[in-house]
Amino acid sequence: MNVLLLVMLAVPFASGAITLLLGHRAEHAGKAVAVGGEAVALTLACVVAFSHLGSASPTAHVYASTAAVGPPIALSLSVDQLSAVMVLLVHVVAFLVQVYSLGYLAHDPRYPSYAFLVSVFTGAMSLVVTADDLWVLLVGWELMGACSYFLIAHHWELPEARAGAVKAFLMTRTADLGLLFGILVLGHRFGTYQITSIMGAIRHDAFQVDSLWLPALLFLAAAVGKSAQVPLHTWLPDAMPGPTPISALIHAATMVAAGVFLVARCYPMFLNSTSALTWMAFIAAVTMLLAAVHALTSTDLKRVLAWSTVSQLAYMFGALAVGSYSAAVLHLLAHGAFKALLFLAAGSVVHAVEGATSMTAMGGLRRRMPYTFVTMTLGFGALAGVVPLVGFFTKDAVISAALREATGGREVWPFVAWLLVASMIVTAMLTVAYSLRAWLLVFFGAPAPAAEHAHEPPWVMRAPLLLLAVPTALGGVAVAYPAFVLGPGRGGELFHAPMAIASTAIVVVAAVAVLVAWRRRTEWDLWRARPVPHPRADALYEFAVVRPVRWLAGGTVFGDREVIGGYVEGAAGAAGGLGRLLRWAQNGSVQAYLMVVVVGAVAVALAAGARA
Amino acid sequence: MPLWWPLLLASLLFAIGVYGVLVRRNAVLVLMGVELMLNAVNINMVAFDAHLRAALHAGQTFTLFIIVIAAAEIGLALAIVLLVFRSHGHIEVDRLRALADRDEPATEETGR
Repeated sequence: MNVLLLVMLAVPFASGAITLLLGHRAEHAGKAVAVGGEAVALTLACVVAFSHLGSASPTAHVYASTAAVGPPIALSLSVDQLSAVMVLLVHVVAFLVQVYSLGYLAHDPRYPSYAFLVSVFTGAMSLVVTADDLWVLLVGWELMGACSYFLIAHHWELPEARAGAVKAFLMTRTADLGLLFGILVLGHRFGTYQITSIMGAIRHDAFQVDSLWLPALLFLAAAVGKSAQVPLHTWLPDAMPGPTPISALIHAATMVAAGVFLVARCYPMFLNSTSALTWMAFIAAVTMLLAAVHALTSTDLKRVLAWSTVSQLAYMFGALAVGSYSAAVLHLLAHGAFKALLFLAAGSVVHAVEGATSMTAMGGLRRRMPYTFVTMTLGFGALAGVVPLVGFFTKDAVISAALREATGGREVWPFVAWLLVASMIVTAMLTVAYSLRAWLLVFFGAPAPAAEHAHEPPWVMRAPLLLLAVPTALGGVAVAYPAFVLGPGRGGELFHAPMAIASTAIVVVAAVAVLVAWRRRTEWDLWRARPVPHPRADALYEFAVVRPVRWLAGGTVFGDREVIGGYVEGAAGAAGGLGRLLRWAQNGSVQAYLMVVVVGAVAVALAAGARA
Repeated sequence: MPLWWPLLLASLLFAIGVYGVLVRRNAVLVLMGVELMLNAVNINMVAFDAHLRAALHAGQTFTLFIIVIAAAEIGLALAIVLLVFRSHGHIEVDRLRALADRDEPATEETGR
């Protein structure tokens, strides 16, 4: 099993490297290697995952270790139930994305580097979810940041793609400093960098409550950056100019899931520090509402989905903050399935209307694209929490956990817990509203001119949609038997009938309101096309970060050019001026030179005579 | 004959020679100035030779050397002057400034 685990991690990197080396010389072979390598990795991931689900005992193994200075840094991996489900999610989504890209980017001039980066991205995420050493986790974490930068900027001829990539990189990198310092603090405190050892120590030794607030808050900062929560939430919607399969990969399985995963992996530490949990609850409450409002007012289909991701990630953080580990992880898995489905279906729609992502360019697509219509309806239904679909069960589990915490919990401040519950309920209504709005705008109404000749995508793009529709529709079973997936002790009662009835009522009320608005849509502002609203936080960053940095940069340039450069140019000017003075003597007249010689000789002679 | 007569003559000739070298513009006249200086030295040599009555007559010997060298020198110098005249069309010393240090290459007196 240990060797198998290592091979599973190495396969994506190896297949990516081969794809890159084959390059444009053998593009078909390169595509085959990329998809085939991912298929092999998926098979290995299934073997690894299914042997660790349920009540199986976790695997932990140290492959190599160094003890040069301080606590040992080791190449060590550990797989428990959480890692197993994450590995499975990552590789299923990555495989489907690789297959889907064959159709979506069939004529892309940069396919080899694209396939390479997707493979490395997948490998980096599986490294993060299986790493036992915090430094190994950091390596995968940063590798994902770099890959997301390159993939968002895939269409680097577009200025907004370049800007979005730089923004994503800067914001996540800034937050990553939290992870780095958190690792150093934990290593100093526990004398080891092994996650399992540290968490075991926290679980067994009776630490005073909140004694680990510093590393917990630092890790929370890293997770907030990676998972695009307030106040670092603006990079995710701006990352939308990247190719749509990449959005599916980033939003469902890899990048943003890593933040939630980090908190879940280090959960004993967070349970110890209630201040970090309170902050997490507050951030989640603010983020989910803000993102839902943004999603409701966006006209760009991909931006609607991006904001919905931010909002759903906030649900997961909310569940983690109120101590409901199982609900958070299950919602993460469910979200991975239906968000991948939604993005891939959105890719089909964008493909059909020739690259436009604005919902004004769509409309009336349900007859022309029946497969996409059905699968995307399932995805939107799961996002909104419609009864039999997976999002319904997991979201209910999250909300009821928050309600339990607010009424009698001890993890977070009651005020914040109630704020979280209220925010969750309002956000659930808004989620229904924006899902229904996007669904109606894309598939109903009069078709836009660009949508007149829309047609279904090729089978290579249709098959992933159908495959993802299965867990989206039937994943609710996992909520009924959480112990079956996450192991004993993680069970708990996740399904509550009163909460299910209440949330269904919420869905119905919100849906009726939106449908009524749709019938009278000519008057209501919600349907009108509008310029993309920019998050207010960006204005704050513009004022507080971007402009001071530009001023500093301007000052540095001034100092370099005018002060340091001034010395250099002054030295050059002084030498030149002195040279010009001396040059005046070199006028080319031989007689003038002789005159100097004669006068000099006479002067010397006179001086000598005077002395004698 | 007192010694200062030839010395005075030599000094006058030398001064005229220096003047000719420093002031005349014509290259041939500059050469003549050089010759005058050489001959002033010769007069000095001969005068001291006679005054000191040296057994080896080194002064007269050196004078002969100087006359021979001056003849060779004037031949070489006149050849140079001839070449300068052929290439420049004049032999005015103060217009021959091609070796001055200046920004642009000299065009004023090269080539016609």
